[in-house]
Amino acid sequence: MIDCPNGEVRDQLPDYLHDRLESSARMSVERHLADCAVCRDELALLRDLRGTLQRAPRIDVAAVAAAIPAYRPAARKSWASGWRIAAAITVIAVGGTSIALLRRPERPTQVARNTVAAPTSHAPAVGPASLPPVVKQPVPQPEQKVARAEPSAKTAPVPTGEELAMAGGTISDLSDGELSDLIGDLDSLDAVPSTDVESTESLLTGRHRGRHE
Amino acid sequence: MTDVALPTDERTDLDLIARWKAGEQRAATLLVQRHAVAVARFVASIGARDDVEEVVQDTFVRAFASLDGFRGESSLRTWLFTIARRLVLDRRRTTRRRGEQVEVHENDAATEYDSLDGVVADETQRRLLGALEKLSPTQREVFVLRVSEGMSYAEIADTVGTTEGAARVHYHHAMRTIKELLDD
Repeated sequence: MIDCPNGEVRDQLPDYLHDRLESSARMSVERHLADCAVCRDELALLRDLRGTLQRAPRIDVAAVAAAIPAYRPAARKSWASGWRIAAAITVIAVGGTSIALLRRPERPTQVARNTVAAPTSHAPAVGPASLPPVVKQPVPQPEQKVARAEPSAKTAPVPTGEELAMAGGTISDLSDGELSDLIGDLDSLDAVPSTDVESTESLLTGRHRGRHE
Repeated sequence: MTDVALPTDERTDLDLIARWKAGEQRAATLLVQRHAVAVARFVASIGARDDVEEVVQDTFVRAFASLDGFRGESSLRTWLFTIARRLVLDRRRTTRRRGEQVEVHENDAATEYDSLDGVVADETQRRLLGALEKLSPTQREVFVLRVSEGMSYAEIADTVGTTEGAARVHYHHAMRTIKELLDD
Protein backbone atom coordinates (compact mmCIF):
# COMPACT_ATOMS: atom_id res chain seq x y z
CA MET A 1 0.00 0.00 0.00
CA ILE A 2 1.51 3.32 -1.07
CA ASP A 3 1.12 6.77 0.48
CA CYS A 4 -0.69 9.65 -1.17
CA PRO A 5 1.62 12.64 -1.66
CA ASN A 6 -1.08 14.92 -0.20
CA GLY A 7 0.10 14.85 3.42
CA GLU A 8 -2.45 17.39 4.57
CA VAL A 9 -5.40 15.23 3.59
CA ARG A 10 -3.79 12.09 5.00
CA ASP A 11 -3.30 13.96 8.25
CA GLN A 12 -7.00 14.85 8.35
CA LEU A 13 -8.39 11.38 7.59
CA PRO A 14 -8.80 10.34 11.28
CA ASP A 15 -10.58 13.65 11.96
CA TYR A 16 -12.81 13.01 8.93
CA LEU A 17 -13.51 9.52 10.27
CA HIS A 18 -14.63 10.96 13.62
CA ASP A 19 -16.52 13.83 11.98
CA ARG A 20 -14.32 16.39 13.71
CA LEU A 21 -13.65 18.60 10.70
CA GLU A 22 -15.26 21.92 10.03
CA SER A 23 -17.49 21.98 6.97
CA SER A 24 -14.96 23.62 4.65
CA ALA A 25 -12.19 21.17 5.59
CA ARG A 26 -14.59 18.24 5.33
CA MET A 27 -15.64 19.27 1.83
CA SER A 28 -12.01 19.66 0.81
CA VAL A 29 -11.22 16.12 2.03
CA GLU A 30 -14.28 14.72 0.28
CA ARG A 31 -13.24 16.36 -3.00
CA HIS A 32 -9.80 14.78 -2.67
CA LEU A 33 -11.24 11.37 -1.80
CA ALA A 34 -13.39 11.42 -4.90
CA ASP A 35 -10.24 11.51 -7.06
CA CYS A 36 -7.73 9.57 -4.91
CA ALA A 37 -8.04 5.81 -4.64
CA VAL A 38 -4.99 5.61 -2.33
CA CYS A 39 -6.65 7.85 0.24
CA ARG A 40 -9.92 5.95 -0.09
CA ASP A 41 -8.00 2.74 0.73
CA GLU A 42 -6.32 4.41 3.69
CA LEU A 43 -9.68 5.65 4.98
CA ALA A 44 -11.11 2.13 4.67
CA LEU A 45 -8.14 0.75 6.63
CA LEU A 46 -8.62 3.37 9.33
CA ARG A 47 -12.30 2.42 9.57
CA ASP A 48 -11.37 -1.25 10.05
CA LEU A 49 -8.72 -0.41 12.63
CA ARG A 50 -11.16 1.79 14.50
CA GLY A 51 -13.72 -1.01 14.52
CA THR A 52 -11.13 -3.45 15.81
CA LEU A 53 -9.86 -1.10 18.50
CA GLN A 54 -13.30 -0.07 19.65
CA ARG A 55 -14.44 -3.50 20.67
CA ALA A 56 -15.11 -2.89 24.30
CA PRO A 57 -13.55 -4.98 27.05
CA ARG A 58 -16.07 -6.09 29.64
CA ILE A 59 -16.20 -3.87 32.68
CA ASP A 60 -18.79 -3.36 35.38
CA VAL A 61 -19.54 0.32 35.03
CA ALA A 62 -21.89 0.29 38.03
CA ALA A 63 -19.14 -1.12 40.24
CA VAL A 64 -16.74 1.56 39.05
CA ALA A 65 -19.32 4.25 39.78
CA ALA A 66 -20.04 2.79 43.22
CA ALA A 67 -16.38 3.20 44.16
CA ILE A 68 -16.53 6.98 43.72
CA PRO A 69 -16.74 8.66 47.13
CA ALA A 70 -18.86 11.70 47.89
CA TYR A 71 -17.22 15.05 47.26
CA ARG A 72 -15.14 16.45 50.10
CA PRO A 73 -13.67 19.88 49.51
CA ALA A 74 -9.95 20.11 50.08
CA ALA A 75 -9.07 21.85 53.37
CA ARG A 76 -8.01 25.41 52.64
CA LYS A 77 -4.88 26.84 54.17
CA SER A 78 -5.75 29.76 56.40
CA TRP A 79 -3.43 32.73 56.87
CA ALA A 80 -2.95 31.59 60.48
CA SER A 81 -1.50 28.27 59.35
CA GLY A 82 0.86 30.18 57.05
CA TRP A 83 2.12 32.23 60.00
CA ARG A 84 2.48 29.08 62.06
CA ILE A 85 4.70 27.55 59.37
CA ALA A 86 6.81 30.73 59.14
CA ALA A 87 7.22 30.82 62.94
CA ALA A 88 8.25 27.17 63.02
CA ILE A 89 10.87 27.75 60.30
CA THR A 90 12.26 30.75 62.22
CA VAL A 91 12.51 28.79 65.48
CA ILE A 92 14.27 25.91 63.73
CA ALA A 93 16.69 28.28 61.97
CA VAL A 94 17.56 30.23 65.14
CA GLY A 95 17.87 27.07 67.23
CA GLY A 96 20.04 25.36 64.66
CA THR A 97 22.35 28.36 64.37
CA SER A 98 22.68 28.61 68.16
CA ILE A 99 23.56 24.94 68.50
CA ALA A 100 26.07 25.22 65.67
CA LEU A 101 27.73 28.21 67.35
CA LEU A 102 27.86 26.51 70.75
CA ARG A 103 29.36 23.35 69.33
CA ARG A 104 31.92 25.14 67.19
CA PRO A 105 35.50 24.38 68.39
CA GLU A 106 37.63 27.38 69.44
CA ARG A 107 39.73 27.35 66.35
CA PRO A 108 40.73 31.00 66.08
CA THR A 109 42.93 30.78 69.25
CA GLN A 110 44.65 27.65 68.02
CA VAL A 111 45.24 29.21 64.65
CA ALA A 112 46.77 32.28 66.25
CA ARG A 113 49.11 30.11 68.31
CA ASN A 114 50.14 28.06 65.33
CA THR A 115 50.83 31.21 63.37
CA VAL A 116 53.20 32.46 66.03
CA ALA A 117 54.82 29.06 66.47
CA ALA A 118 55.47 28.66 62.78
CA PRO A 119 59.15 29.23 62.14
CA THR A 120 58.81 31.47 59.12
CA SER A 121 56.46 33.88 60.86
CA HIS A 122 59.15 35.06 63.26
CA ALA A 123 61.41 36.71 60.78
CA PRO A 124 59.48 39.91 60.06
CA ALA A 125 58.81 40.51 63.75
CA VAL A 126 62.36 40.27 65.00
CA GLY A 127 64.55 41.16 62.11
CA PRO A 128 65.74 44.66 61.37
CA ALA A 129 63.97 46.43 58.55
CA SER A 130 66.96 45.98 56.27
CA LEU A 131 66.95 42.20 56.48
CA PRO A 132 65.21 40.47 53.64
CA PRO A 133 62.23 38.45 54.78
CA VAL A 134 63.23 34.86 55.40
CA VAL A 135 60.03 33.45 53.92
CA LYS A 136 60.91 34.70 50.45
CA GLN A 137 64.12 32.72 50.25
CA PRO A 138 64.14 29.44 48.34
CA VAL A 139 63.69 26.59 50.73
CA PRO A 140 65.53 23.52 49.52
CA GLN A 141 64.01 20.97 51.95
CA PRO A 142 60.88 22.39 53.47
CA GLU A 143 59.72 19.12 54.98
CA GLN A 144 62.93 18.62 56.90
CA LYS A 145 62.84 22.18 58.14
CA VAL A 146 59.37 21.80 59.54
CA ALA A 147 60.38 18.54 61.17
CA ARG A 148 63.30 20.26 62.84
CA ALA A 149 61.31 23.23 64.01
CA GLU A 150 58.95 21.19 66.14
CA PRO A 151 61.45 19.47 68.43
CA SER A 152 63.14 22.81 69.14
CA ALA A 153 59.78 24.22 70.10
CA LYS A 154 59.50 21.45 72.65
CA THR A 155 62.95 21.80 74.16
CA ALA A 156 63.12 25.60 74.15
CA PRO A 157 59.70 27.24 74.11
CA VAL A 158 59.29 29.62 71.25
CA PRO A 159 58.44 33.11 72.49
CA THR A 160 55.02 34.45 71.70
CA GLY A 161 54.55 37.62 69.67
CA GLU A 162 54.12 39.63 72.84
CA GLU A 163 57.35 38.31 74.31
CA LEU A 164 59.16 39.02 71.11
CA ALA A 165 57.94 42.60 71.04
CA MET A 166 59.14 43.14 74.59
CA ALA A 167 62.46 41.43 73.94
CA GLY A 168 63.15 43.11 70.66
CA GLY A 169 62.48 46.77 71.28
CA THR A 170 64.12 49.03 68.70
CA ILE A 171 67.68 49.70 67.57
CA SER A 172 67.72 52.92 69.56
CA ASP A 173 67.34 50.88 72.78
CA LEU A 174 70.73 49.24 72.22
CA SER A 175 73.88 50.62 73.79
CA ASP A 176 76.83 51.58 71.59
CA GLY A 177 78.63 48.35 72.47
CA GLU A 178 75.65 46.19 71.69
CA LEU A 179 75.11 48.03 68.46
CA SER A 180 78.67 47.53 67.33
CA ASP A 181 78.41 43.82 68.28
CA LEU A 182 75.28 43.53 66.19
CA ILE A 183 76.92 45.25 63.23
CA GLY A 184 79.85 42.92 63.60
CA ASP A 185 77.52 39.96 63.62
CA LEU A 186 75.79 41.23 60.53
CA ASP A 187 79.09 41.73 58.75
CA SER A 188 80.08 38.17 59.55
CA LEU A 189 76.89 36.83 57.91
CA ASP A 190 77.05 35.52 54.38
CA ALA A 191 75.76 37.70 51.56
CA VAL A 192 72.73 35.46 51.37
CA PRO A 193 71.04 35.26 54.73
CA SER A 194 70.73 31.85 56.18
CA THR A 195 67.47 30.05 55.65
CA ASP A 196 67.99 28.19 58.88
CA VAL A 197 65.28 29.76 60.91
CA GLU A 198 66.36 28.09 64.08
CA SER A 199 69.84 29.57 64.08
CA THR A 200 68.62 33.06 63.16
CA GLU A 201 66.03 32.84 65.86
CA SER A 202 68.47 31.79 68.57
CA LEU A 203 70.93 34.42 67.45
CA LEU A 204 68.48 37.26 67.81
CA THR A 205 66.18 36.13 70.58
CA GLY A 206 69.03 34.76 72.68
CA ARG A 207 70.88 38.05 72.69
CA HIS A 208 67.92 40.27 73.36
CA ARG A 209 66.48 37.96 75.94
CA GLY A 210 69.72 37.88 77.77
CA ARG A 211 69.70 41.64 77.83
CA HIS A 212 66.26 41.89 79.36
CA GLU A 213 66.71 39.00 81.73
CA MET B 1 -18.73 33.47 28.51
CA THR B 2 -16.15 30.78 27.90
CA ASP B 3 -18.74 28.05 28.24
CA VAL B 4 -20.25 29.10 24.92
CA ALA B 5 -17.03 28.13 23.13
CA LEU B 6 -16.90 24.69 24.72
CA PRO B 7 -18.27 21.68 22.85
CA THR B 8 -21.49 20.30 24.30
CA ASP B 9 -19.80 17.20 25.71
CA GLU B 10 -17.28 19.21 27.66
CA ARG B 11 -19.94 21.58 28.92
CA THR B 12 -21.91 18.59 30.13
CA ASP B 13 -18.84 17.22 31.88
CA LEU B 14 -18.27 20.50 33.68
CA ASP B 15 -21.95 20.67 34.64
CA LEU B 16 -21.83 17.15 36.03
CA ILE B 17 -18.67 17.91 37.99
CA ALA B 18 -20.34 20.96 39.50
CA ARG B 19 -23.39 18.91 40.42
CA TRP B 20 -21.25 16.22 42.05
CA LYS B 21 -19.43 18.88 44.05
CA ALA B 22 -22.81 20.19 45.13
CA GLY B 23 -23.53 16.80 46.66
CA GLU B 24 -25.33 15.00 43.85
CA GLN B 25 -23.72 11.56 43.77
CA ARG B 26 -25.75 10.59 40.70
CA ALA B 27 -23.66 13.06 38.69
CA ALA B 28 -20.57 10.95 39.40
CA THR B 29 -22.35 7.87 38.10
CA LEU B 30 -23.27 9.72 34.92
CA LEU B 31 -19.68 10.82 34.41
CA VAL B 32 -18.47 7.25 34.84
CA GLN B 33 -21.09 6.02 32.37
CA ARG B 34 -20.01 8.63 29.83
CA HIS B 35 -16.30 7.80 29.93
CA ALA B 36 -15.67 4.37 31.48
CA VAL B 37 -15.94 2.38 28.25
CA ALA B 38 -13.56 4.69 26.38
CA VAL B 39 -11.07 4.56 29.25
CA ALA B 40 -11.38 0.76 29.34
CA ARG B 41 -10.81 0.58 25.59
CA PHE B 42 -7.73 2.75 25.85
CA VAL B 43 -6.35 0.81 28.83
CA ALA B 44 -6.83 -2.48 27.00
CA SER B 45 -5.31 -1.21 23.79
CA ILE B 46 -2.11 -0.05 25.47
CA GLY B 47 -1.54 -3.46 26.99
CA ALA B 48 -3.22 -3.75 30.41
CA ARG B 49 -5.66 -6.45 29.37
CA ASP B 50 -5.66 -8.55 32.51
CA ASP B 51 -6.85 -5.91 34.88
CA VAL B 52 -8.74 -3.40 32.78
CA GLU B 53 -11.58 -2.95 35.27
CA GLU B 54 -9.18 -2.44 38.16
CA VAL B 55 -7.25 0.20 36.24
CA VAL B 56 -10.45 1.92 35.15
CA GLN B 57 -11.73 1.99 38.73
CA ASP B 58 -8.43 3.35 40.04
CA THR B 59 -8.49 5.96 37.30
CA PHE B 60 -11.93 7.26 38.30
CA VAL B 61 -11.22 7.13 42.03
CA ARG B 62 -8.04 9.14 41.55
CA ALA B 63 -9.66 11.53 39.14
CA PHE B 64 -12.57 12.28 41.47
CA ALA B 65 -10.23 12.61 44.44
CA SER B 66 -8.36 15.37 42.63
CA LEU B 67 -11.15 17.00 40.66
CA ASP B 68 -10.43 20.26 42.50
CA GLY B 69 -7.19 20.34 40.51
CA PHE B 70 -8.99 19.88 37.18
CA ARG B 71 -9.22 23.30 35.58
CA GLY B 72 -10.93 22.22 32.38
CA GLU B 73 -7.95 23.24 30.24
CA SER B 74 -8.19 19.88 28.49
CA SER B 75 -11.29 17.75 28.14
CA LEU B 76 -12.21 15.49 31.05
CA ARG B 77 -11.68 12.46 28.82
CA THR B 78 -8.13 13.54 27.95
CA TRP B 79 -7.45 14.04 31.65
CA LEU B 80 -8.86 10.59 32.47
CA PHE B 81 -6.71 9.03 29.74
CA THR B 82 -3.65 10.74 31.18
CA ILE B 83 -4.34 9.26 34.63
CA ALA B 84 -5.12 5.83 33.16
CA ARG B 85 -1.92 5.84 31.12
CA ARG B 86 0.14 6.70 34.20
CA LEU B 87 -1.48 3.84 36.13
CA VAL B 88 -0.76 1.39 33.31
CA LEU B 89 2.87 2.50 33.17
CA ASP B 90 3.18 2.14 36.96
CA ARG B 91 1.79 -1.37 36.78
CA ARG B 92 4.12 -2.23 33.93
CA ARG B 93 7.08 -1.03 35.99
CA THR B 94 5.95 -3.07 39.00
CA THR B 95 5.53 -6.15 36.85
CA ARG B 96 8.96 -5.66 35.33
CA ARG B 97 10.48 -5.29 38.79
CA ARG B 98 8.91 -8.59 39.79
CA GLY B 99 10.48 -10.12 36.71
CA GLU B 100 7.18 -11.22 35.26
CA GLN B 101 7.03 -11.48 31.51
CA VAL B 102 4.03 -9.92 29.83
CA GLU B 103 3.40 -11.66 26.56
CA VAL B 104 0.93 -10.55 24.02
CA HIS B 105 -0.91 -13.19 22.06
CA GLU B 106 -2.79 -12.53 18.89
CA ASN B 107 -5.52 -14.82 20.20
CA ASP B 108 -6.17 -12.27 22.95
CA ALA B 109 -8.54 -10.69 20.49
CA ALA B 110 -10.89 -13.64 20.75
CA THR B 111 -10.30 -14.58 24.39
CA GLU B 112 -10.06 -11.29 26.24
CA TYR B 113 -12.53 -9.18 24.37
CA ASP B 114 -16.21 -9.51 23.98
CA SER B 115 -17.44 -7.36 21.17
CA LEU B 116 -20.73 -5.71 21.95
CA ASP B 117 -22.28 -6.59 18.65
CA GLY B 118 -21.25 -10.23 18.87
CA VAL B 119 -18.96 -10.13 15.87
CA VAL B 120 -16.43 -12.90 16.09
CA ALA B 121 -12.84 -11.78 15.63
CA ASP B 122 -12.10 -12.86 12.10
CA GLU B 123 -8.85 -13.25 10.25
CA THR B 124 -8.75 -9.59 9.17
CA GLN B 125 -9.13 -8.38 12.73
CA ARG B 126 -6.44 -10.74 13.92
CA ARG B 127 -4.10 -9.37 11.31
CA LEU B 128 -4.94 -5.80 12.28
CA LEU B 129 -4.38 -6.53 15.96
CA GLY B 130 -1.18 -8.34 15.09
CA ALA B 131 0.04 -5.29 13.21
CA LEU B 132 -0.90 -2.99 16.10
CA GLU B 133 1.07 -5.19 18.48
CA LYS B 134 4.19 -4.68 16.38
CA LEU B 135 4.15 -0.94 17.02
CA SER B 136 6.31 0.57 19.71
CA PRO B 137 4.37 1.41 22.93
CA THR B 138 4.38 5.14 22.17
CA GLN B 139 3.38 4.63 18.55
CA ARG B 140 0.52 2.39 19.66
CA GLU B 141 -0.70 4.88 22.27
CA VAL B 142 -0.65 7.71 19.78
CA PHE B 143 -2.28 5.64 17.04
CA VAL B 144 -5.04 4.35 19.32
CA LEU B 145 -5.85 7.84 20.60
CA ARG B 146 -5.90 9.23 17.07
CA VAL B 147 -7.79 6.46 15.29
CA SER B 148 -9.95 4.95 18.00
CA GLU B 149 -10.73 8.06 20.06
CA GLY B 150 -10.41 10.68 17.33
CA MET B 151 -8.21 12.93 19.45
CA SER B 152 -6.38 15.89 17.98
CA TYR B 153 -2.58 15.93 18.07
CA ALA B 154 -2.74 18.56 20.83
CA GLU B 155 -4.90 16.29 22.99
CA ILE B 156 -2.65 13.32 22.29
CA ALA B 157 0.40 15.39 23.20
CA ASP B 158 -1.27 16.26 26.53
CA THR B 159 -2.14 12.66 27.27
CA VAL B 160 1.13 11.03 26.27
CA GLY B 161 3.36 13.86 27.48
CA THR B 162 4.93 14.83 24.19
CA THR B 163 4.67 17.57 21.58
CA GLU B 164 2.12 17.90 18.82
CA GLY B 165 4.85 17.50 16.21
CA ALA B 166 6.17 14.33 17.81
CA ALA B 167 2.63 12.94 18.08
CA ARG B 168 2.09 13.60 14.37
CA VAL B 169 5.35 11.83 13.47
CA HIS B 170 4.44 8.84 15.68
CA TYR B 171 1.04 8.57 14.01
CA HIS B 172 2.42 8.59 10.47
CA HIS B 173 5.21 6.13 11.33
CA ALA B 174 2.63 3.84 12.91
CA MET B 175 0.39 4.07 9.86
CA ARG B 176 3.29 3.24 7.53
CA THR B 177 4.33 0.26 9.70
CA ILE B 178 0.80 -1.12 9.73
CA LYS B 179 0.49 -0.79 5.96
CA GLU B 180 3.82 -2.58 5.45
CA LEU B 181 2.88 -5.38 7.82
CA LEU B 182 -0.49 -5.88 6.15
CA ASP B 183 1.13 -5.92 2.68
CA ASP B 184 3.48 -8.77 3.66
